[in-house]
Amino acid sequence: MSEARAHFDEAGGALIASGAWHADSAKALPARHGKAVHVLDGAGITALDTNGAWLLLDAAGVHEGVEPPELRGFAPQHRALMELVARHVGRTGALPPPRREGVIEITGRGAMAMGGHVVGLLDFVGHLTFELAALIGRPGQWRWREFGAQVRDVFVGAIPIVIGMMFLLGVVFAYLLGDQAVRYGANIFVVDGLLLAMLREVSPVIVAVLVAGRTGAAITAQIGTMKVNEEIDAIATLGLSPLAVLVIPRIVALLVALPLLVFIGDIAGMAGGMLVAKEQLDLSYRMFTDRMLDVIQLKTLLVGLGKAPVFAVFIAMIACRMGLTVSRDARSVGEHTTSTVVQSLVAIIILNAAFAVAFVKLGI
Amino acid sequence: METVIAVENVATVLGGHEIHRGLDLHVTRGEVVALIGGSGTGKSVLLREIIGLLRPQSGRIMLFGQSVWDVAPEQMNALRRRFGVLFQDGALFSSLSVEDNVAAPLFEHTALPRATCRRLARLKLALAGLPADVARKRPSELSGGMRKRVALARALALDPELLFLDEPTSGLDPISGRAFDHLIRLLADSLGLTVFLITHDLDTLFSIIDRVIVLSAGRVLGSGTVDELKNIDDPWLRDYFAARASGRESAHGN
Repeated sequence: MSEARAHFDEAGGALIASGAWHADSAKALPARHGKAVHVLDGAGITALDTNGAWLLLDAAGVHEGVEPPELRGFAPQHRALMELVARHVGRTGALPPPRREGVIEITGRGAMAMGGHVVGLLDFVGHLTFELAALIGRPGQWRWREFGAQVRDVFVGAIPIVIGMMFLLGVVFAYLLGDQAVRYGANIFVVDGLLLAMLREVSPVIVAVLVAGRTGAAITAQIGTMKVNEEIDAIATLGLSPLAVLVIPRIVALLVALPLLVFIGDIAGMAGGMLVAKEQLDLSYRMFTDRMLDVIQLKTLLVGLGKAPVFAVFIAMIACRMGLTVSRDARSVGEHTTSTVVQSLVAIIILNAAFAVAFVKLGI
Repeated sequence: METVIAVENVATVLGGHEIHRGLDLHVTRGEVVALIGGSGTGKSVLLREIIGLLRPQSGRIMLFGQSVWDVAPEQMNALRRRFGVLFQDGALFSSLSVEDNVAAPLFEHTALPRATCRRLARLKLALAGLPADVARKRPSELSGGMRKRVALARALALDPELLFLDEPTSGLDPISGRAFDHLIRLLADSLGLTVFLITHDLDTLFSIIDRVIVLSAGRVLGSGTVDELKNIDDPWLRDYFAARASGRESAHGN
């Protein structure tokens, strides 16, 4: 194949092209310094495709609102191709590149979306309340099997990672507390501090964050994929309510599982602290447990465990709502799953802060 | 005439099943050829072998005189620029706009500025008969027939000499299907393309095809125009053409 060549004959206003013209021939186009092209001479062209034809027409200025150039010397099949492309050049004028959003626009859109999520969640709570009332009216629609499968996935599947994470956090907390306490000879009070921190704050929040990332994301991805496959529509067509079949069992399962996981996390955290106390602070296991049973208050335990169901309901509702609002393409499933985790984490942090303020005001 | 596709003595075994046993076929430049055959006769497998996605156990596959499975990877890449493929469900990238879907091969394979690639993409969309407003939409916003046209525009992005189509009219209503057939023929004639397509659609065969190749029992059973094939005495072929005849009669009966 011969190289594409072209030169501009200023006297005749002619663009004279030869060789093989295709997409990579653009570099052969001559500069024409704003002069108009009246004639396009293709007598020397050996091969031409639509990309090459378009490049020649573009170079001849067809997008600049001037008279289309006269085609001269083209072989019949090349002339036909030039004419075919010329018929469509009205569509190929320069357009601004696809708009990219600036920081302010993205921020604004994010804020609007956040507002939309709050409104959407409220709306969802309303629907769920009606659905729950209907379900109490006809308990036959309650899905034991679905509920059992969810409890197994959410609770049993999460036990190892909850134990592992909380144990290590207990180790770290006890080590840092002990490091301070040992200077004042207050070794034994590490137990008090650890107990309060673990039971009241660390275990509920960390376990909820873990469940949001693990189970919340899974729920959104699963319900979202069902939406893409039209399974949700199929459920509705069978005369069943997707909320009763899919959403309520998941919410109840999480409601049951999260407090249990938090309790397991409490024990694992204290066990981690106990190990460090023995190694670093010379507190025997016996001393540690005795002190723990002396200072533990039922209130402390219940405050921690009491937050868990609230976190659970929010995680489950956010995850199910985001799953049900997926639109029918692969990209949307990914976006909504991400959004579930982010919304859940924000909800957990805000709720936890609200609890802290409320408990102080109530003197708990 | 120059031979564009040459399949010689190809044998394929997949999962212990013998798919092709000594299959031969040739396609010359400028032909519009359809490959037909019952389900499970290895049509799609053969297509995947020709475009270099699946290696046959033995035999030789040549595209433009070069052996697909023996050339160096960079030569294969040069070869890939010379053919376009339309996958059965379009296989559009859902995270890109329609315009960028069509421009993607140009972004990757040419040195043109991105703005020029997008303008060329809009030329291909126009050639594929799509309205101007689809360019900045997402594939998920389009109907099935429009998605097929976008996929065709993408297959044409680099101006291939050879076009592979896997069941181009499946999933389209009869009217869109016929329109798509005529678009393929129009583009093949005006751009001088060689087209190799797999189809079950009898209307496609009767309207736009130069030559039909029939696969049966791992070999080429016959090749020729539709009328020539009707003379071949084969139970599957007879049922195949009878399906159209009876379909026509019942349509008249209603």
